[in-house]
Amino acid sequence: MIRLENVTKVYPTSTRPALDDVSVEVERGEFVFLIGPSGSGKSTLLRLLLREDVPNEGNVWVANWNVGRLASRRVPRLRQRMGVVFQDFRLLPNKTVAENVAFALEVIGKPRHTIRTVVPEVLDLVNLAGKADRMPSELSGGEAQRVAIARAFVNRPLVLLADEPTGNLDPETSTGIMTLLERINRTGTTVVMATHDRQIVDSMRRRVVELSSGKLARDDSRGVYGTGR
Amino acid sequence: MLFVWREAFAGLRRNLTMSIAMVITTAISLGLLGAGLLAVRTIDRTEELYYSLIAVQVALDEPTSAGDPDCSGPVCTGLRDELEANPLVAGVEYESRDAAFERFQRIYAGQSILQLVRPQSLPATLRVTMADPLRGTEIVQQFTGRPGVRNVVDQRSTVQDLFSFLGSVRNATFGLAIVQALAALLLISNTIQLSAFTRRTEVGIMRLVGATRWYTQVPFLIEAVVTGLVGAVLATGGLVLGKLFFLDRLLSGRLLANTIPPVGMSDVLLYVGPVLVIVGAVIATLTGYVTLRLYVRT
Repeated sequence: MIRLENVTKVYPTSTRPALDDVSVEVERGEFVFLIGPSGSGKSTLLRLLLREDVPNEGNVWVANWNVGRLASRRVPRLRQRMGVVFQDFRLLPNKTVAENVAFALEVIGKPRHTIRTVVPEVLDLVNLAGKADRMPSELSGGEAQRVAIARAFVNRPLVLLADEPTGNLDPETSTGIMTLLERINRTGTTVVMATHDRQIVDSMRRRVVELSSGKLARDDSRGVYGTGR
Repeated sequence: MLFVWREAFAGLRRNLTMSIAMVITTAISLGLLGAGLLAVRTIDRTEELYYSLIAVQVALDEPTSAGDPDCSGPVCTGLRDELEANPLVAGVEYESRDAAFERFQRIYAGQSILQLVRPQSLPATLRVTMADPLRGTEIVQQFTGRPGVRNVVDQRSTVQDLFSFLGSVRNATFGLAIVQALAALLLISNTIQLSAFTRRTEVGIMRLVGATRWYTQVPFLIEAVVTGLVGAVLATGGLVLGKLFFLDRLLSGRLLANTIPPVGMSDVLLYVGPVLVIVGAVIATLTGYVTLRLYVRT
């Protein structure tokens, strides 16, 4: 589903590469933790997968797209098959929960009758069916993140990317979010989650890909966050 | 589609004061352009009106005027035949000294200048109607200084002053229109940037979920085009009011009546109006497109 082949990314403002000759492959339906300290290249990797940036060397494959070489007019098509969740939720403050989720479908031109059936379904999946008409300011952090996940998942993406989705949440709420991400993973969606959360990684025992200074440092199929770090 | 329109109007509402400034500036610019176009059209009409009336006058010298009152002598008939044979000439009419004096009396009836003029001070003339009124100077050149000719006058040069006045009115309005258009362009460009900045979170999310350029950019373009169109409609309305309450009175007043033909309502609504709508829409679209390309990352 995802394949990086000797990917190197150097930002113009920096001498050290953000990613240095990284090769890694993720199968369809896998759940992968992407770990490493700040500045190790986790966010860069996610940005390359989303075609927010292109690699200087190597190839990035998502499904059958060679992402780095995709013509820019084809990028929307790629992104429509990917969902993204961020630490800071990124909800639109002037729209309700349901409108925030519907927004993702509206702007890719989905017909209204589809939106009307799909949005309640996905809100049900994230256990927010009762809060469809709330505004984001009325939600707790965990609820807001679940709205963000609903928005990322509503178009049934092939891949869900999560950039420290529990970074702003307390441990208990984080567990709820992880349960939700596992449920989404069980529908066949590949999940890649960048995180600093040792407790979550250790308790889930999923595949762990560790980056260190832009290099692939470790790839364990049922890993833990690591010892002595 | 619906989404795109909703976003565009939300954008216009959000920056309401900017939108109003944009519309007013655009309207003034287009209004001036429209006034210029009306001036051009009026100039064309006025020229047509005058060119059918004006002619080249070949005035005969004193011996011919006095000695050959019915143009039967060799000098006068020679000139007349030569003029009639000229392909530039549509027709030649002879006016004797006495006929000229009668016409003079008619035109200046009751005015003191009549006391000063005797028939002897007016020449007999060959009045030449041109096939092409613009080429009168060629006749002037050919016949000036010929035996029997006192002088040759192209009447077009006497109405030239009027045309150059109308022409400078036109140039001034076009000049102002360009300056205003520049202000309108900058305002539209600025407002789009402002609008894009206010909506950066939204646009960011749109890009992440895979919205195409159509969805992310067209709302801004529509904002610009709506501004252009509303501006054009207001400008046309302004020209209609200007025609009804200013031009109509001016051109039917004693000074200019029968000098400059009136501006018709159809000139404003069927000629200038559509031109302004098209120009407004095209300029706004181009400005919006260029701004999005240069300043707004998508």
